[in-house]
Amino acid sequence: MIEVKNISKAFDGNQVLKDISITFERGKTNLIIGRSGSGKTVLLKSILGLFDIDEGEIWYNDRNLVQMSNKERKLLRSEIGMVFQGGALFDSVNVEGNVRFPLDMFTNMSGPEKIKRVQFCLDHVNIDRQAYKLYPSEISGGMQKRVAIARAIALNPKYLFCDEPNSGLDPETSTVIDQLIQALTKEFQMTTIINTHDMNSVIEIGESVLFISKGEKEWVGTNREILDSGNQKLDDFIFANKLYAQMKKGK
Amino acid sequence: MRMGFFFHIGRYFSMLSKVFARPEKAKMYVRQLFLEIDNLGVNSVWIVIIISIFIGGIMTIQFAHALANPLYPNELVGLGTRDTLLLEFSSTMLALIMAGKIGSNITSEIGTMRVTEQIDSLEIMGVNSASYLIFPKIVAVVFIFPFLYIMSVFFGLLGGMLTGPLVGVVTIPQYIDGIQWLFYPYYITFSIIKCLVFGFLVSSVPAYFGYYVQGGALEVGKASTKAVVNTNILILFFDLLLTRLLLT
Repeated sequence: MIEVKNISKAFDGNQVLKDISITFERGKTNLIIGRSGSGKTVLLKSILGLFDIDEGEIWYNDRNLVQMSNKERKLLRSEIGMVFQGGALFDSVNVEGNVRFPLDMFTNMSGPEKIKRVQFCLDHVNIDRQAYKLYPSEISGGMQKRVAIARAIALNPKYLFCDEPNSGLDPETSTVIDQLIQALTKEFQMTTIINTHDMNSVIEIGESVLFISKGEKEWVGTNREILDSGNQKLDDFIFANKLYAQMKKGK
Repeated sequence: MRMGFFFHIGRYFSMLSKVFARPEKAKMYVRQLFLEIDNLGVNSVWIVIIISIFIGGIMTIQFAHALANPLYPNELVGLGTRDTLLLEFSSTMLALIMAGKIGSNITSEIGTMRVTEQIDSLEIMGVNSASYLIFPKIVAVVFIFPFLYIMSVFFGLLGGMLTGPLVGVVTIPQYIDGIQWLFYPYYITFSIIKCLVFGFLVSSVPAYFGYYVQGGALEVGKASTKAVVNTNILILFFDLLLTRLLLT
């Protein structure tokens, strides 16, 4: 579980996050949604500790990120998996090497154990063994995301962060990625936080949805509640698409 | 935002303090070091050989032209070529050329990793990205530079020995006698010291520009250009400084 308590963050006097509090539960896919520039990425990076917050607290179970020493933060990061918007796979290393990298860096596993773990992770994201020796530039965008997910779960993390995991993917592949993230969250009982503005993802896997606007928490609920939230800003965001708006009116 | 000279100096040394921090897993760094020696050093061997042979030949012809006086012995052509190669060309000129080849490679590689979030990815895993990416490059370039220098001197002299007799300005025995005249071994020591300093500059300065790049492909390209220009200026500055301190 990750608990965010009254966090605020400003850049050069510009308040980007304003007094946000939220609990992200374990075993659930927690989504952060909002318009571009609403503060989603700053919130995600603040929770990850990449930005130092001005006020508030961030609790990873019973550990307060704000008060952690560098050593404790490093230890925490070994419990975190992250899937970046573009995959962020290492260009100079093949698929197998990308998933193996955190194992080489942070474990004392033997060679065969590492190979077994790499196969386990890649099997979980349905990557064929023939693709193991391919480089990131030789595989599709959807495959890159799946390899990125495999790398993120290689060290068996307690927390999984995904920054717009569906960006640049077709709707069908997006759904596959969403379902994969949700399935892994359940199987490994991770606390998963996904930053997105893809409404299909919200409907598909939004077990807990936080909507932020101009750095403020506007609404929290589930995908089942989102269409009837009664929040005007959220409605404006969701029903910006004419088709959704007509569906809402029952046409 | 305008950033001053002192800001860059401060950030450069701050980056170096991260680069020389204790590595997470030494074995991974050693593996990376061998890859960098191959990528940055061994892959530069051919260009060093080709440039050195041509420059050696050109210098021989130019020295012969400048010393075209019956009072000067022809052996001076070999001596002049040797000293120019030993003192300046094979260390400084080579460093300037390598700043273009190796430096732009380092900036674009690290810069691309920055803009595609690969560096963020390393940081989130808990890896000291500055150290993991930059330390093996610095060690590899500093290690390989003296070898490239020695190779450059050898092939430069060989270029002169082939070209001089070919164009008829000096005979092979005169040239060989010339390159053995008034030889000061300290010239090699001096140039190797320069090579170590230049190797550090050629790797660390472009790494700095790549590591802190912001934006996209365009900015990576601009950072590469800036890195090469700044590295060249620093090489010339340190060349002057070291020559004043160690040679005069």
